[in-house]
Amino acid sequence: MRIDRTCLTDAPSEDHTVRRARSALDDVDAAGKAAPDQDNPTEAAPADKPAKVANPHKPAEPRSRGEVYADTRQSAESGWDRHRKWDTSDTELAQFKTERAGLRETSQKEADGYVDQHRARRPWLEMAACASPESRRIIVAIDQGSGHGHIRHEGWVTEQANMRRAAYLEDPAQLDMTKRPRGIDGLKPDDKRHKCAELATRITDPDAFATAFTRGAEHPRVRAVIAAPYDPGVWPDPVLIPIADLLGKDGHEYCTGWQLEPVDGSMDAAISNRRAWRTAMAEAREPDVPQPAARPVPTFEGGTLLFLVSHNQARDGYEIVNMYPQPRDDDPSG
Amino acid sequence: MRDFYWNRHPDGPFATLIRIATTYLHPEVDELEALQKLVKRETDEMHTFKSELRKAVNDPAQLPDDELSKHVRYEDGSPEAFLRRLWRDLYGDEPIDTPQHP
Repeated sequence: MRIDRTCLTDAPSEDHTVRRARSALDDVDAAGKAAPDQDNPTEAAPADKPAKVANPHKPAEPRSRGEVYADTRQSAESGWDRHRKWDTSDTELAQFKTERAGLRETSQKEADGYVDQHRARRPWLEMAACASPESRRIIVAIDQGSGHGHIRHEGWVTEQANMRRAAYLEDPAQLDMTKRPRGIDGLKPDDKRHKCAELATRITDPDAFATAFTRGAEHPRVRAVIAAPYDPGVWPDPVLIPIADLLGKDGHEYCTGWQLEPVDGSMDAAISNRRAWRTAMAEAREPDVPQPAARPVPTFEGGTLLFLVSHNQARDGYEIVNMYPQPRDDDPSG
Repeated sequence: MRDFYWNRHPDGPFATLIRIATTYLHPEVDELEALQKLVKRETDEMHTFKSELRKAVNDPAQLPDDELSKHVRYEDGSPEAFLRRLWRDLYGDEPIDTPQHP
């Protein structure tokens, strides 16, 4: 199979971070894993069985080659530490009532049972299984609601999946691997095409995610939107809250993302080209635009968490339906 | 923190257009059908939205910097193309140059 070296920036010469990522791929190659094709769905699939290694005592690498590549680039270019764990305040999360976010109340016991029952068909619940019990309860409440923040913007999503979402419009929520490389949305009906802005971001740790969600739900600006008189025809405006306000001064270290590379300095052109490329590939045509590329967001320091509030499933109130980090906007104007 | 344009400039040019377009059409929301229903409401807000959209279609250079693009992240390639498509999606064949309401 052709080696997957996708999503490299079109730099005139390869910088050291890309060389380091390639080196990491070589290590995986040496361990005997196959190199997936660019549009081979297995690139974005859950990891294959661990590769065999010469030293039987050395832990097997559970990640795919693509995941190693993306993780290595993210670490090198943003300083992300994939082993960093959020230290939860269990009391805070245990006391949070999910109805404050417009969600139904869920007990700890219900949450644990829900994860056991549904994790096979809803693989994003695997991270909830690894999280603290209190975080698990909150993530389960979110999963029972209308939203998708925990599916696309939380620790279950890999760096590779976000890289491919930003570059190729592949939806990590799309579990059908014949549809994901064709850019078909995993959460909308009727095989609608997936859409994405120039960024694909996430909070990397489920406990950090649950903490941000909980504190955001109690923030006055979010509360004002959730508590507004319900109108089934109105979508409330989004709300931005500084990451530091919800996760502390180091909270940005639990956020990662990939950003689409501009084309000739234009993000409008890059987003348009990406759609044209995606459409051509899905139709098995030769694209007449350059292959899109994405690179890690260098930092989320000074960034924000965006909260989207929309209609609950009963259509009788509002709930938080999405939450994701955004890097600082350095535009000095305004 | 750099907040949304409409929060930084509540009375700024095209604040209503940018706010509503972002709220309904940003890729993370993508609710064109809901916006199509909303614009049928006879409210001051919807009249302002339509008026601002009309002005923007006729003269995209009046838009504040790249606020529309950065907020909405349309796939049309340019603000001009996005605005013209949005008018068609919301108001069909209604001529852009003939205001129906004061």
